[in-house]
Amino acid sequence: DSHIQYERVGADVTMKCGSMDWDAAVTWTANGTDIDESHLNGSYLILKNVDLSQSGQYSCYEGSSWHLKYQTYLRVGTPPKEPVLMCRSNNYPKGFYCSWHLPTPTYIPNSFNISVIHGTKDMVCEKDAVPKNRCHIRLLQLFSTVKYKVTLTVTNALGKNFTTLTFDEFAIVKPDPPESVVAKPVPNNPRRLEVSWQNPSSWPDPESFPLKFFLRYRPLILDQWQHVELSDGTSHTITDAYAGKEYIIQVAAKDTDIGTWSDWSVAVHATPWTEEPKHLTTEAQITETTSASTSSFMAPPTTKICDKGAVVGS
Amino acid sequence: LGAGQSIQQTYDLTRYLEHQLRTLAGTYLNYLGPPFNEPDFNPPRLARAERVPSATVDLDLWRGLTDNARLAANYRAYSRLLCYLRVLDGQVGTAELRHRLAHFCASLQGLVLSIGGVMSSLGYPLPAGPAGPPAPPGAPAAPNDFLKKMDDFWLLKELQIWLWRSAKDFNRLKKKVPPAVVTLRLEARGF
Repeated sequence: DSHIQYERVGADVTMKCGSMDWDAAVTWTANGTDIDESHLNGSYLILKNVDLSQSGQYSCYEGSSWHLKYQTYLRVGTPPKEPVLMCRSNNYPKGFYCSWHLPTPTYIPNSFNISVIHGTKDMVCEKDAVPKNRCHIRLLQLFSTVKYKVTLTVTNALGKNFTTLTFDEFAIVKPDPPESVVAKPVPNNPRRLEVSWQNPSSWPDPESFPLKFFLRYRPLILDQWQHVELSDGTSHTITDAYAGKEYIIQVAAKDTDIGTWSDWSVAVHATPWTEEPKHLTTEAQITETTSASTSSFMAPPTTKICDKGAVVGS
Repeated sequence: LGAGQSIQQTYDLTRYLEHQLRTLAGTYLNYLGPPFNEPDFNPPRLARAERVPSATVDLDLWRGLTDNARLAANYRAYSRLLCYLRVLDGQVGTAELRHRLAHFCASLQGLVLSIGGVMSSLGYPLPAGPAGPPAPPGAPAAPNDFLKKMDDFWLLKELQIWLWRSAKDFNRLKKKVPPAVVTLRLEARGF
């Protein structure tokens, strides 16, 4: 009979050759390769302190007739550790999802079972086809003071483990980052940048559940971000940009009342408008342009780069 | 005040109260002491705590509420919550906390009146019942101090969530009844 045999890493494994007697003459193979007699005790195969590399197909043949008497597939692995579980609502108030993973691999198949209880009610967690380690719960009630209790149990042939999360509905609300972030210079305004974005498409009802936003921006030449919080609307004009410097800009979102901030959006870059250099025909114009261009490298009067009137780019 | 301004004002007051309650509740739960001030504290909700009006509502039902029903639900809830909060206010041992609770009760009373103002400006009758918040129901006090604290815990939690719900309620109303456009009467002279 052929079947799968699971054993823990480090275990000592003994395999009998089916119904053959202890003193019968037999041959054992591992993945088709004969196993040295030193591993045999009579007709029994003895594997000491097995490791992952010893997983494979083990077969036992009767000595003279080479008749296959026993075959097994040995899977060496570990029992599951406590799984890591995370629940989050990025589409409030539609529902929330839970996703999980194992902190370390087990090298053998695991099965996961998740239970979601709200007060006394059992809720269905609809599993995603892909990714497999994720499922969704639909919120039927809103504004509940009763916590949700999610228990994830992982089982494999070598053991079982579980983890439990208990949380309030509003504590796990975390939108996805804003989308379609665009930053543009404002013609004739050397210190302005116009930034616009959209609500994350996963946020189902911004009318009833408005988002507020956090914008951060900085010139590439500096590390210090500047921040501005915006309670509504999906655009903002930066008015204190350094002339001619390339900026990096990101936006985050949060429900106006509950939950936590989203991750930062994808970063966008933009450089404020700068005056086109005039076409030079006479020497005077050349001189005029040279002095003009030097001054443009002078840091704007309201610079915050350093206090001692440093000159940018000098 | 037009209905729109009245709703905006009520919305702003709700946000203010929500913010106030966050710190007040933290202080009060610390006053109650462990386990009430532990983040994972998740006690069962006993019968007495069930009397506090619950903000929990079916999602589709909440969406489909008429403006009148939405406002009335808020009016009734805060009227009763205010009454419970006043009972709480009278029993607190520290003067500073008593003062902050009293201030919060006054603001909450302002919210009840503000909601009433919105209803009147929209032509809706105020929900039946005494003008002020109804007297606390006659149920017996909590049999021991721990259960009394449990009641307080649930009252504060329910109040917090009502304020979140109300912020969403008034935000919806705000969008349906925008503040009237302020018309500047320009005395045009010589144009």
